[in-house]
Amino acid sequence: MGTARKPLSHEEYREELHKAVAQYSRTKPLNEEVWRSFAEHLHFVATPDDAGYEDLRRMLDQLDFALGTHANRLFYLATPPSAYEAIVKGIGEHRLRGETGWARIVVEKPFGHDRESALALNEVVHTVFREDEVFRIDHYLGKETVQNILVMRFSNGIFEPIWNRQYVDHVQITVAETIGVEERAGYYEHAGAMRDIVQNHLLQLLALVSMEPPAAFDDKAVRDEKVKVMRALRRIAGDDLAMNAVRGQYTRGFIEGVPVPGYREEPGVAPDSRTETYVALKLWVDNWRWEGTPFYLRTGKRLPKQSTEIAIQFRVAPHQLFSREALAGLEPNALVLRIQPDEGISLRFGAKVPVQGIRIRAVNMDFDYGASFMVDAPDAYETLILDALRGDATLFTRHDEVDQQWTFVDPIIKGWASDSSGGPAPYEAGTWGPSEADELIERDGRKWRKA
Amino acid sequence: MAQGIVVDTTFWGARAEGVAALERELARLRRVQSAHARESVRPIARASVLNLIVYAEREEHARRAARSISDLALRHPSRAIVVLADRARERQRSGRRIDMHCQLPIPDGARQVSYEQILVRASGDVDDRLASAVIPLLVPDLPVFLWWTGTPSLGSRSFADLLRLTNRLIVDSADFARPELTLPIMASISEAARGRFGLTDLNWTRLTPWREIATAFFDVPAWRLFLDGITGVRVGFAVDMDGRDIHPSQALLLVGWLASRLGWRPLETLAPSEAGGLLFAIARPDGARIMVRVRPRFERGLEEGDISGIRIQATGGHGARQAEFVVKRQPDPHHQTAAVLLDGERRWERTMPLPSPAIVELIGEELSILGSDRTYEAALGSLVGLA
Repeated sequence: MGTARKPLSHEEYREELHKAVAQYSRTKPLNEEVWRSFAEHLHFVATPDDAGYEDLRRMLDQLDFALGTHANRLFYLATPPSAYEAIVKGIGEHRLRGETGWARIVVEKPFGHDRESALALNEVVHTVFREDEVFRIDHYLGKETVQNILVMRFSNGIFEPIWNRQYVDHVQITVAETIGVEERAGYYEHAGAMRDIVQNHLLQLLALVSMEPPAAFDDKAVRDEKVKVMRALRRIAGDDLAMNAVRGQYTRGFIEGVPVPGYREEPGVAPDSRTETYVALKLWVDNWRWEGTPFYLRTGKRLPKQSTEIAIQFRVAPHQLFSREALAGLEPNALVLRIQPDEGISLRFGAKVPVQGIRIRAVNMDFDYGASFMVDAPDAYETLILDALRGDATLFTRHDEVDQQWTFVDPIIKGWASDSSGGPAPYEAGTWGPSEADELIERDGRKWRKA
Repeated sequence: MAQGIVVDTTFWGARAEGVAALERELARLRRVQSAHARESVRPIARASVLNLIVYAEREEHARRAARSISDLALRHPSRAIVVLADRARERQRSGRRIDMHCQLPIPDGARQVSYEQILVRASGDVDDRLASAVIPLLVPDLPVFLWWTGTPSLGSRSFADLLRLTNRLIVDSADFARPELTLPIMASISEAARGRFGLTDLNWTRLTPWREIATAFFDVPAWRLFLDGITGVRVGFAVDMDGRDIHPSQALLLVGWLASRLGWRPLETLAPSEAGGLLFAIARPDGARIMVRVRPRFERGLEEGDISGIRIQATGGHGARQAEFVVKRQPDPHHQTAAVLLDGERRWERTMPLPSPAIVELIGEELSILGSDRTYEAALGSLVGLA
């Protein structure tokens, strides 16, 4: 059932979907036979006003009767958040929830633009839906390799015992994009990397990698642990800001040898924009497990390479037996979870180079998803929408999680907004961010990985 | 097609539209290999222990390098990124472009290992953007070696950008067009590189047997005392018959090495008597003046620039005896003869094999080292004062 303000016939709607599916589906070419039988169940009702919502309810009731769907309904809002209030109100007032079946609502990010607006948005949704009926999508959580973080940590016996301050020197989480702001300038100018990536994706990855083992793999236990670790995240505000957070903005440069404009030259961007396109953070998780182990997070647009990964870098061996020359090629052990592209896991350790005498070189032991299972993982959205249909909310963001995310992010954004000294540090497109970000980590005697 | 660039795809593999497409193609090739291998119950490992960037300005150099990498693949399986930058087209600003090709060759004699070969074909003036095409191709976490064929284009942005990525820079000063100018600049690069990346020269590796024999003379206690009394050094290096191609890099490095080890200070460069030769006045730590002569010589069967012989003159001991320490390459030319003359009388002589390793072996050796070579850096440093 499709609905929007502008009118469309069932046929026009089916035609639109057919084109989209033919273009984007994982299975090509589209099997027309399968499509025809699927499309029979596609309908469209325009909802520009109250009468439209009434039409929609009648249509839904008819379909329930014809198909025996028991008024089970999943509402998917693919709209800007500004439209949520009117839609949710419409669902409520026109009794679209149905009387017998279940009702769920899928909400896309952004979940507000700060803590206050997230709370307000939540109140709107809660006028019609209970919290356990709300499915907030962060598509990162639907990614195969992100789920694999949990599998790797909690189904293996060898990792969890060393997953703590005693063995881990620090953790680096990187979400690097090569694309610029593209057609999203209108949204991005007001959001910036902090709201676009850090508040949701990066903090989700951080939660998964730092959380305590949940008692069960269900929505309550997993999300309780995530909220718990988010609460332990030390707030960055006031004087800490300059030492622990860096923002940057790309200038013109080259991506894969092709010249690209600077952020301020992009269409729809103010020529004196102070919006950050890069963020680097140093974080502390104040709990028993992570005391003294910093987490370094970075994300940016127009970085040299598209890459999302988590690197757990372990402490060096306590006593070095070998000479400086022998150790020249040794790097500390690191376990790298590659989320995209090239999903996989690699473990770096030192090995002897086959020559006379001792020379040590860091080598990688590599697990490559594609080559090991030889199947394409389902798209994140396929996974998540199926989960929503089944009512499994484990991979969706609960309200208290969103609340904790904003509680962490808000003071940083506010601090930057009130900082009159300078805006984001410029970095050339195609480089790994501003030099301030290097200083952030190099002050501690560490360095960013070449992801 | 712009510029009509023709790339031999049977050698370099299919063209890929961008880095993402290239990685997908490599992943596809890996799967094909794995599938074949499963049938024959011989899984193929994706092996790579290093990133190797080769920079070449001519197709033939790029191909030669690619063949060397193939020969080395069993010892150093790598992701090899061959950058072919066509300087002839450099000034044509209209046709700036960078193409990428990839291939998954299985080296001869190996069934279980493949390595990755990528060609980055640049044309036009791409100095400002070349590195942006190379960075995303590097395998994370693996060391990066940069093998720069020919004379490093000092002052070019792509050289500086690629150096920033590098753990070890490999050059071959035998290929330098004007070594007396380029070697001192290499010294300043090594100065600036300290702690960030290592630097090496294949010509330095070729010197190893000569350095070994030169030091071995003075291991003998009776001759040790002559080491502080060296009065003159002559180094011969090979040139072709008409003496046109002069490549004194190896000989210069040898002089630089002696100077850095023995604490010599350069005084002045004098005009040599023969064309293409070099004559230096050098001061010993005790202030005495030494003449060092680097002489081009025609030798059959030698690569131009290879050392043909060393002669060290010294005085020492009671009554200031005259000693001469001589190493000469045999005409064959895979042996060398070392001799010691005391007051003109031959006291000791020995003939030993003289390995002349091919480029592949030299590169293979360099790829197994990651740190910097302080002895080499010191030798380079001493050269600055000479040239």
